Amino acid sequence: MDRSTTVTDTPLKNRSLAALLAATWPGLGHLYQGRYRKGLLYLICIFGLYAVGFALGDGANVYWSWTNPLRDPEHFRLYYLGQFWVGLPAWPAVLQATLVHFGHQPLFNGFMAAPLLDPSMDENVRRVMEGVVRRAFSLHQKYGGLKEIGDIYTTIAGLLNVLAIYDAFEGPAHRDETTADEPDHESSGTKAEGATA
Amino acid sequence: MFVPILGVINAYWFALPLILAISLVYAASRHEAWGRILRHAARLFVMITGVLALATAILLLINTQV
Repeated sequence: MDRSTTVTDTPLKNRSLAALLAATWPGLGHLYQGRYRKGLLYLICIFGLYAVGFALGDGANVYWSWTNPLRDPEHFRLYYLGQFWVGLPAWPAVLQATLVHFGHQPLFNGFMAAPLLDPSMDENVRRVMEGVVRRAFSLHQKYGGLKEIGDIYTTIAGLLNVLAIYDAFEGPAHRDETTADEPDHESSGTKAEGATA
Repeated sequence: MFVPILGVINAYWFALPLILAISLVYAASRHEAWGRILRHAARLFVMITGVLALATAILLLINTQV
């Protein structure tokens, strides 16, 4: 293999910052690193998958609740453990869950709030949450199994972004492949300090 | 919204964009060269779709034999 034509100068720049950006929004870390086409691919594939899944669930399939899975496994939202990794598009669910957990009214009419009612809820909080529960339970009647497909899409999107975050931090798995027949990336002239680690 | 339109599509067709996204993202995480990404993604797409189709065929066969 001709070492002069190998991919060893993947511009990772500040790898931790790139990983953080990738975790915040799919593809953002790669755009920061100058790996534009890859960033765009991650953005379209991961955020696109998440957006379609979110729409299939009518915006009511991404939520979190501060529930102990050992005490209350029925209300524990396992899907969100995957959805969380999409980044900012999924993070409002944590804010809403925290507000409800501490007895505050969720923001934006309960957008991304868990469809759960608690007898100890304040009257105002209960009123909003009843709307959230109604909306969540009407999904099956309106769209049938599409909500489940939305659950799967949004969860897989989050899990795929874990790969993208790792790629932003560590670079591609096969770093020493020949690229004589094709240009590898747009800004191959720049070298990262972390890339040769 | 477009959701009512999607409601008339058979649920199995929703697997294809999912497999495509998985193939592309996985391949992109393995390679940096665009050509290799696309080739790897195409291979992976065919493999996953083939395995799923085979599994479905076997399950259908078993189902009709019972």
